[in-house]
Amino acid sequence: MKSLSKNNLHWCEGKTMKNLLILSSFSMLFLIGCAEVQKIDTTNDTGKQVLSLDYRDFDEAASKMIQSLISSGTLAKKDGSRYVVATGRITNDTMQRIDTDLLTAKIEQDMMKSGQVVMTSAVGGKDGKGTDQTVYEMREVRDKSVGEEFKQETLPQKGQIISPELSLSGKIYQRNLRYDKDKQQVEYYFQLKLSDIKTGLRFWQEEVLIGKRGSNKSVAW
Amino acid sequence: MKKYFLLLFFVVSAILLTGCGETTDKRVNLDTGVKSDNLANNALTRPVYGAFSLLIGEGIDLKDVKVFTNDAGFMEIQATGYNRAIYTKRFDYKVEWLDKNGVVVDSKASVWTPVSAKSRTTFSFKTVAPSKDVVDFRMNTRKTPQ
Repeated sequence: MKSLSKNNLHWCEGKTMKNLLILSSFSMLFLIGCAEVQKIDTTNDTGKQVLSLDYRDFDEAASKMIQSLISSGTLAKKDGSRYVVATGRITNDTMQRIDTDLLTAKIEQDMMKSGQVVMTSAVGGKDGKGTDQTVYEMREVRDKSVGEEFKQETLPQKGQIISPELSLSGKIYQRNLRYDKDKQQVEYYFQLKLSDIKTGLRFWQEEVLIGKRGSNKSVAW
Repeated sequence: MKKYFLLLFFVVSAILLTGCGETTDKRVNLDTGVKSDNLANNALTRPVYGAFSLLIGEGIDLKDVKVFTNDAGFMEIQATGYNRAIYTKRFDYKVEWLDKNGVVVDSKASVWTPVSAKSRTTFSFKTVAPSKDVVDFRMNTRKTPQ
């Protein structure tokens, strides 16, 4: 039996180390490939649909609502001035944790762009969460001694906040149905309405349905 | 030979006569399975037409684009098309609105919006501009991602 000389032993160890290095490099490359993050091309997203609501669904619902609202002529005041609109309560009646601003922010933006509407930050949203608290904080500052540090003519005076004329409210709700033994059907209903605050009359209303079918193994929340 | 000419005569007559018996109000579309079959369109000939339609890749024909200004002063577009394919076609459209300088007017409504067109039917969809500054548009379409 040929005994291993010191040189041979070193050579074997060297080769083993080299193999280990190559193997670990490949493993790292493989793991990096698995963990790769891709940015969504939100302009031309061709990704597959998911059973829950994603940004494309909010885009589609908001787009249809905006189209309906603008083409209805509801926001056209006879004297050409703008309506003051507040966003009221938008209820999320789905199984998902949704910030309803995902829908309303888009609609508000296009309503203002239309030149027919100005939104108010003084009132609105569930529990007043749609408001900008700075509107009231500055009034508290005015009424306290620290208010004397400000140029008085730049502070908001009493009786300046303009009351909204219209209120946008609605809800998003979800229905889950059994389609067949392997698939489920999930229906999302987006409902919005525009009401006159003084009279309580409803001037506009729209419902958009987004329906999805998927495997029973998928979750819609 | 005489027999074949006689058969051909009867077939052509049947096709022509069947066509003469139909009501032709183009506003009402009777789908296959709703209207009566005839010699030209029946369970035997439909697969042949269908295969041919698939082979040549029939799709949507754009028939008309109506552009008008609504009472509120916003541009509205109604596009009308015809689906020549034998199956329902689903596609998305996205409109970019342009002002008098040809600059795009941004809008949250300028997103890919799905349209579904039933086989061999005329369909329409409409869209409205987000601002009164809009004077022109361009529309892109794509096959709806699955």
